[in-house]
Amino acid sequence: MHTIRLATPRGLDVLARQARLVGSSLVAPALLLVIAINILPALYGFYLSLHKVFFFGNEGFVGLANYAALFRDPFAWQAIGRSLLFTFAALAVAVPLALLAAMGISRLGSWGSVLLTVLLVPWAMSPIVVALLWKWILVPSPGGLVGAAFTAFGLPPQDLLTNPLLAMPTLIVVAVWRNFAFATIILIGGLGQIPRDLAKAAAVDGLGAWESFRKITLPLLAPSLLIVISMLTISYFNEVQLIIGLTGAGRFGRPPPWPMRSTTPASSSWTRGAATPSRR
Amino acid sequence: MRTLSRIALVLACLLAGIVALGPILWAASTSFKSANRIFAVPPELLPRSPTLAHYANLIAEGVHWAFLNSFAYAAVAVLAALLFGATAGYALMRYPVAGRPAVLLVFLATMAVPGFAVLLPTQMLAAGIGLQNTWAILPILYAGHILPFTVWVTRSHFATVPRELEQAAEIDGYSRAEAVWRIVLPGAKPALLAAATFGFLHCWNDYVTGSTMVDAPELRTLQVALIFFQGFHGRDWGSLMAGVIIATIPPVVVFLLFRKFLIGGFADGSVKG
Repeated sequence: MHTIRLATPRGLDVLARQARLVGSSLVAPALLLVIAINILPALYGFYLSLHKVFFFGNEGFVGLANYAALFRDPFAWQAIGRSLLFTFAALAVAVPLALLAAMGISRLGSWGSVLLTVLLVPWAMSPIVVALLWKWILVPSPGGLVGAAFTAFGLPPQDLLTNPLLAMPTLIVVAVWRNFAFATIILIGGLGQIPRDLAKAAAVDGLGAWESFRKITLPLLAPSLLIVISMLTISYFNEVQLIIGLTGAGRFGRPPPWPMRSTTPASSSWTRGAATPSRR
Repeated sequence: MRTLSRIALVLACLLAGIVALGPILWAASTSFKSANRIFAVPPELLPRSPTLAHYANLIAEGVHWAFLNSFAYAAVAVLAALLFGATAGYALMRYPVAGRPAVLLVFLATMAVPGFAVLLPTQMLAAGIGLQNTWAILPILYAGHILPFTVWVTRSHFATVPRELEQAAEIDGYSRAEAVWRIVLPGAKPALLAAATFGFLHCWNDYVTGSTMVDAPELRTLQVALIFFQGFHGRDWGSLMAGVIIATIPPVVVFLLFRKFLIGGFADGSVKG
């Protein structure tokens, strides 16, 4: 039972202070853990990026020299370029696909939720496991699934993952296969908020399906599309596990996309100080 | 015309389903084929003489211990995140909290920190305090990774449980803690399950954190163990696909069981903010 206090100004003050104490101490464990695990390492990484660090030995403050070295390194620029290419190409495939799926699913009724569940299964999988799985599918042998397709067309099986021209599109296909359906969830939510009467009114006014899509659906869906695009951009730009798994971390002499540089300090000539700026 | 477009829609859905599930079913089929049939030309869709040899092989290599490790790490991290995350989420909704806007910003901003970017400094800090390569490091890190989302989802859901309901319980003689336990938590079940499901998927599906923070074979996660297994038995696709299947079953089962809450949680968290 709560004791009833008189609502004198001083009493209220005490109550407010007590409530603030309780509230703050309930938040404290989560806050401290998040700061220790997500923010402290980021700050430490920034601190390291201003120092010359060789393995675990700190050899002193060097200012922005690590950043300068990074931006002088042509590999770094190539890696950034490849990351941007991967990100935007994957976006260009995933967003229309997710939109198409969302429109199909919201038209299907109860079967639609079954289809959405099926499409989301790859998203629930671990990226590194997805990579292992696709390595087997892409194995360049007539006994592999893709190899058999090549053989069926009278071509010798190609190793798509080591082909300089086809490796990137292959990575993109696998990345989109894994998670485009996640974007579909949000787009279905957005489509559900568009009033049905609007489409009917448009049809009465003689608007075709394409025009109705372009003039009604797309503008009203813009907020959801924006969320989807920003989420997928973050997800693709940060894609590490899938690419490590599929390419074995720059196995073919070319460095992997940008995010991976921070995970492969030993195989590159980079010291740890230079690897940390990839945070930005 | 109407039936025609209906048929086209159904065909498109079937195709989408095959593209989504086909690769996984192909891996499952491979995992049951005897070693000499795996590279059969043309590929056999179904194993002609199914065998469990590849699964036995994984157990002989001790991969099942890594499976249990992954499970234990994920379970501890999810429970910790729910405990700390739900209390923080509740306090942020119902109590005055010192520096509330800054606290909210911390939880929101850290959701966007990509794990791999802070991997090296994290590893160095963990090594510095002697936590690297111990059983504790992965549950702690995973809990930290999934906490911001847990706080965010539970907080926005606690807002939907009317304060009057709690007050009524308190008037009926429950303490505030009892009122939360009996009224608020059951009401927030969808949010708790969404956070738990998301958290489990994050922990179970991690590879980079597990591979950098832990070296000892007996502490490895399943994902790391599979990559090591691939390193030693690179061409043993049957066993590798058996590994893919056992690594895929837990997250997919969890996803299928709780998909309703997960999808709802994401829709809530992202649209209503």
